[in-house]
Amino acid sequence: MKNSISQIKKALIEKKISVSELYDEYLAKAKSGNNNSFNLVIDRENNISSINDSQNRYDNGNPLPLDGIPLGIKDLFCTKGIRTTASSKILSNFIPNYESFVTQQLLNDGSIFIGKNNCDEFAMGSSNETSYFGPVINPWKNKNSQKDNLVPGGSSGGSAAAVAEGSCVASMGTDTGGSIRQPASLCGIVGLKPTFGSCSRWGIVAFASSLDQAGPLTNCVEDAAYILNSINKHDFNDSTSSNHQREDYLTDINNSLEKKIKIGIPSDYLEDVSEDILNQIDNTKQALSKHGIEFIDVEFKTTEYALSTYYILAPAEASSNLARYDGVRYGIREDGESLDDIYLNSRTKGFGDEVTRRILIGAYVLSAGYYDAYYRQAQKVRRLIKNDFQRILNDVDFILTPTTPNEAFKIGDKLDPISMYKNDIYTVPTSLAGLPGISIPSGLSKNGLPLGVQFIGNYFEEKTLLQLAALAEKELSFNE
Amino acid sequence: MSDIDIKRISYLAKLKLPSEKEEFYSNSLKDIIKWVDNLKKVDTSKTEPLHNVTEKTVSIRNDEVSKSNCVDDVLSNAPERAQNFFKVPKVVE
Repeated sequence: MKNSISQIKKALIEKKISVSELYDEYLAKAKSGNNNSFNLVIDRENNISSINDSQNRYDNGNPLPLDGIPLGIKDLFCTKGIRTTASSKILSNFIPNYESFVTQQLLNDGSIFIGKNNCDEFAMGSSNETSYFGPVINPWKNKNSQKDNLVPGGSSGGSAAAVAEGSCVASMGTDTGGSIRQPASLCGIVGLKPTFGSCSRWGIVAFASSLDQAGPLTNCVEDAAYILNSINKHDFNDSTSSNHQREDYLTDINNSLEKKIKIGIPSDYLEDVSEDILNQIDNTKQALSKHGIEFIDVEFKTTEYALSTYYILAPAEASSNLARYDGVRYGIREDGESLDDIYLNSRTKGFGDEVTRRILIGAYVLSAGYYDAYYRQAQKVRRLIKNDFQRILNDVDFILTPTTPNEAFKIGDKLDPISMYKNDIYTVPTSLAGLPGISIPSGLSKNGLPLGVQFIGNYFEEKTLLQLAALAEKELSFNE
Repeated sequence: MSDIDIKRISYLAKLKLPSEKEEFYSNSLKDIIKWVDNLKKVDTSKTEPLHNVTEKTVSIRNDEVSKSNCVDDVLSNAPERAQNFFKVPKVVE
């Protein structure tokens, strides 16, 4: 078993290890780079003052909440003075002059960044195969075909692989339609997407602004609470940042939930799923029933429209957000005779296939004559999807679903975009509704690969969601 | 669904698709638009569009001056600059 944040902090407090030794241990693994999970590893010299400051705080007996903890950061968060590429050629030379809100909170709490995790280009993908820096390899192998390299999921695939391979204690990811939860599931770790509006989007390279949300990928649920405590704060720089009162997510995380809990299982999610996936739901149900938790069947009316809605709205927002890459202000420039040529050449050479495809979908659904039929209609259906979730959450406290429809697949196996998009069938509806979701490892497939289940809670109720996930984790934990 | 004019769409998106890839993107776009077409059968006559899921995030702050986005910072990533400006080819004759 890998060490949790609280175990590592204990060892640091008891001087069983120094901050410097801890950092070196993780840095060495990150540098070995076997799974291509980092776009950039930060050299020791650039972290030396953070390491020393952190050690001083331990020596003085007043460490910060995440003091000395080596973290990976998805290469979508702007990090001051550290190259930030969104795994795209067009940003391959970009060095931000400011720190994203979320990563600033993690630095304020004493954590130390190991490097920038590989991801799908502009976070568009479900397998980490669209990265300009090449695919990430899942540290897990299919026991029946050991030599195959599998995808880690995406888009936070580098983050998930890095946590699973042990080259960082936890990693910050982002989730637009499943990009934290799906890779967490395929790599056998925990992934939390908080409620939309919880964690500031300021300084995160934008993909789809009404959906993007930052969240942690961790080895255990308690670690997710540690990170959430740090990053879940109101920020004036993000107009969608909520100013509600935040709770302490760590206290009572291992205590049983106070009231009697009812969990809904959407029967429409389980039609035509494989035995492997059904087993995850059954095991979770069985394990939690022991604790007096009641399960009931629920049925959504809008599931069949969720992916269509998402694949109109997300590309529409992306085509608008990515209009800023013009070869003039930052990023790479491809020369041309006129200003228009510079735009056309820089963008065409700077974006990869999937990003180009999504910009085109977005431009189409927003163009004159199609706007009402596609974009506006999708925004209306999005409200119906949100209402559908609210209807069900009136009857139950949480919803339990599989995280993914399948285990990790081979790199290069899914070439058709629509079959790739279907990977997010269980995570996209939650994203559209803006609700919090957490994926925890629930068991292994017949091929010995990790699978996860997703718990969905009500708006801003991450505290009880984490308590439930911690309880389920205790019951379902499996050893590698 | 009407035919997709890939040349027009790509120009709207300021992309210059290489001719050998036009058909690839055109077919891909057609498949995806056909796939999302099922939304048309949903009755939304009484539904308002949803822009922001939480719909309650108005925050007011004091209007205080702070130092950010200074010229040198903003220009530091520019592919080409001249004094305090981004440099591009001549736009007006």
